[in-house]
Amino acid sequence: MAGVCGIYAFDEIWNVSRFVYYQLIAIQSRGQESFGMSISDFKKTDSISGKGTIQESMESYEVNDLLGPCGIGGVSTRDVNGYVSNDIAIYFDGSVKITEEAVQKLRMDLANMSEKDAVRSFLDGLSGAYSMLILTKDKMIATRDKLGIKPLVIGGVGFDLAVVASETSALDVIGAELSRDIEPGEIVIIDRHYIEEAKREMEVAPAHCIFEYVYMARIDSKINGIHIHDIRSKIGKMLAHNKPVEADVVIGVPETAIPFAMAYSNESGIPIEIGFMRTGKATRTAIRPTQMERMIGVQLKLNPVRGAVRGKRVVLVDDSVVRGTTMRNIVNLLRKRGAKEVHVRICSPKLVSPCPFGTEVPTKDELIAVENSEEEIASIIDADTFAYINVEELKEALGGDDFCTGCMTGNYPEVD
Amino acid sequence: MKFMIVGSGAREHAIAENAVKCGYDVYSATEIRNPGLLKVSKEIFLTDILNGDAVCNVAKKVNPDIIFIGSEESLFAGVSDALRKEGHSVIGASKAAADIEKSKGFMRRLMEKNSMYGRLRFKTFSNIEEASRYIDEYAGSVAIKPTRQAGGKGVKVIADLQTYLKDEKSAAKKRHVSDIVDQNLSQDLEDPILIEERVEGIEYTLQCFTDGKNIVPLKIVEDHPHAFVEDIGPETGGMGSISGVENNLPFLNEKDFKISYGIVEDVVKAIKKETGEPYFGVLSGQFMLTDKWGPTVIEFYSRLGDPETVNIMPQLKNFDEIVEGMYNGSLSGIKADFEQRATVVKIVAPKGYPNQRDIAKGHLLNIDMDAVRKTGAKVYFGSVYEEGNKYYTGGSRALEVFAEADDIVEANKMVERAIDCISSDWKLFHRKDIGTKALLEKRFDQANLAKDIFHYREERGLIGKTIDWIPGIGRIET
Repeated sequence: MAGVCGIYAFDEIWNVSRFVYYQLIAIQSRGQESFGMSISDFKKTDSISGKGTIQESMESYEVNDLLGPCGIGGVSTRDVNGYVSNDIAIYFDGSVKITEEAVQKLRMDLANMSEKDAVRSFLDGLSGAYSMLILTKDKMIATRDKLGIKPLVIGGVGFDLAVVASETSALDVIGAELSRDIEPGEIVIIDRHYIEEAKREMEVAPAHCIFEYVYMARIDSKINGIHIHDIRSKIGKMLAHNKPVEADVVIGVPETAIPFAMAYSNESGIPIEIGFMRTGKATRTAIRPTQMERMIGVQLKLNPVRGAVRGKRVVLVDDSVVRGTTMRNIVNLLRKRGAKEVHVRICSPKLVSPCPFGTEVPTKDELIAVENSEEEIASIIDADTFAYINVEELKEALGGDDFCTGCMTGNYPEVD
Repeated sequence: MKFMIVGSGAREHAIAENAVKCGYDVYSATEIRNPGLLKVSKEIFLTDILNGDAVCNVAKKVNPDIIFIGSEESLFAGVSDALRKEGHSVIGASKAAADIEKSKGFMRRLMEKNSMYGRLRFKTFSNIEEASRYIDEYAGSVAIKPTRQAGGKGVKVIADLQTYLKDEKSAAKKRHVSDIVDQNLSQDLEDPILIEERVEGIEYTLQCFTDGKNIVPLKIVEDHPHAFVEDIGPETGGMGSISGVENNLPFLNEKDFKISYGIVEDVVKAIKKETGEPYFGVLSGQFMLTDKWGPTVIEFYSRLGDPETVNIMPQLKNFDEIVEGMYNGSLSGIKADFEQRATVVKIVAPKGYPNQRDIAKGHLLNIDMDAVRKTGAKVYFGSVYEEGNKYYTGGSRALEVFAEADDIVEANKMVERAIDCISSDWKLFHRKDIGTKALLEKRFDQANLAKDIFHYREERGLIGKTIDWIPGIGRIET
């Protein structure tokens, strides 16, 4: 998983490095293992990168030393996706491979033909999913693969800045107004003197990553025209309606599952309580790299609130189950703190297949849902009952069919 | 009737075209061989339109019944006064009255003095140091502008709502203040820098003819100041404009119209009090629908707007009645009569406009006029000059493409088809989004948002007020 962001100032009174810095923090939820940012002053491009989050690993002066009116950045759950040199920088969210030769050709093409054609030709050489930002000395180029698998939005600040990012949260953080989603297969070229929008030849329907809506994107974001908050509320309600249970309290696993749990409670009438307190900073357990780190992550993160669960029948709402290990831990913690019953409700459909587009869904033999029924999973994780939302329900909540459901169905859209 | 127009752009082209329709013989005093003016005029005179004597010389040759001054810079230069002195009948504000546009300091002070509706808090500064000190002390959300009218150049609107970006924004503000002075954008004004309270909302223009007593409002038009699509990019003189079927815009209500009209009325009165003479010519209010006042004054034009004129003129059915009213000295009983259809105007500009006009100059424009005609749209010539039957860009906004239809979305489609008939070996750009359903919907949302807050403020008696509470100092009401 990854995220990208970028800012372009139309005049040189602006120095945007701190803007990009805050944007990176706003998309940190998309990848906390590494980050990078590049700033151009219209002559050369300077870059910094590091492990962990930019807040932890960079001193302010290191960011402030980057000077220029345009810049882009990225975060990732692995090494940062992209390419950096002193005249071109590229960051992307997705699964493509960028070679030195391809960039060299892009460099030549940009000098010899229209930017539009140069970028088209560069993209034609890529295979896979991407929402990508390219920073040349004096331009910022934003583009999405033809299926629009990964999100990408564009907006502006006053008469001064054009802003792009994986999620609207990175627009809000610097006070930008959202204009719209960049469309699948679209190339947006931002120059001091023009913004050019070009579409690539298209014969495919969009296939937006469906996992974004239930898990990846921030609840305060709007992507592909859909408010993430609205979808998660709908799903919570749907679960309460379709998978009801008699219980005394609903609790959500922090942070992503809280809005689902609230909606489940509102719909079912079962009161919601704060069930866990967090120790240490927020990390997303499903995207920590090793098993050991995951266990440490869970134990540090979640301490059940005794008063909220003792003697009660608990509906435990979470956003996803990948391997089941985290969930088993949580259920056990609740039981030790006196929960009489634990009913687990999961707000995303079961994951049964890996993601070829850059999201770290583990291999099939690590996915608990591949060979276990809901009932079997309940026994494995020591829950009284266990239920998922299914893919059809999720699509119904989203109100459309233009999604990639690969990790939930094993059916993948075809990419170039 | 002999009708002389002073000015060089699409605005003057549209005015002159309507004058021809009224049966007038049109003569143009212009700086460039504008192909539009060439086409509609009996004769054009290349002259320095900022020089009263030069324009008087042209008038002497033409001996017109009435002279219409289109260009604000001519008004600022006192061309209307010079012509009147020679006994000509002129539609155009006097130099003194045109200060309402030329100096935003004058305009804001006049509004303040008369406690007018729709005013904003402001300060003007005579030098960079003073302005920078102010920025250090009061780092709020502000608009920073050259005090003088500079054709949309040098306007920055900077919201300062994120404490963590305060330093960057403060640095940018100060650099911008220096730019205003270094680029001499306010020319001869004593207080070249204006810093005013930042407001946000939809902008619209109410253009009016006035004899100083009677006011004839025209259709309300919405301009789009951002250079690029989606309201992104630098401030321009306007990249396109729309008007509705009715005289009001779809996202404004009758009350908004009335308040805006009332503000123009108040300014006409205040100018008379201030200068001792009635305002005689065109006065246009550039408003923004904000949560502070509803209709709020951004600036005034002492003439018709550009591109707004191109929405108005092709639709105005009784231009002759207005012109002759002005000629006879009274607009009493005259109302503007419009075609009840929606309009869209879009600017086609050469790459380089607005920030680097030198590279935007001198490029060949190809316009397939027959193909344009088939679309039903019309092309008005702005910053374009004709040489050996060919058209070249002048560096500013080149063409204004107009269409009217039963609704804005339909008119937009016609304009887009016409723009497809225009080409150049130099990169041209225009705003595809103006007049689309998506942008109109966004405007409705913006208007409703402003109105919700406005109504809350109205109920509490807070209209036009700002209440601050500063720790250690207490409550400050302005």
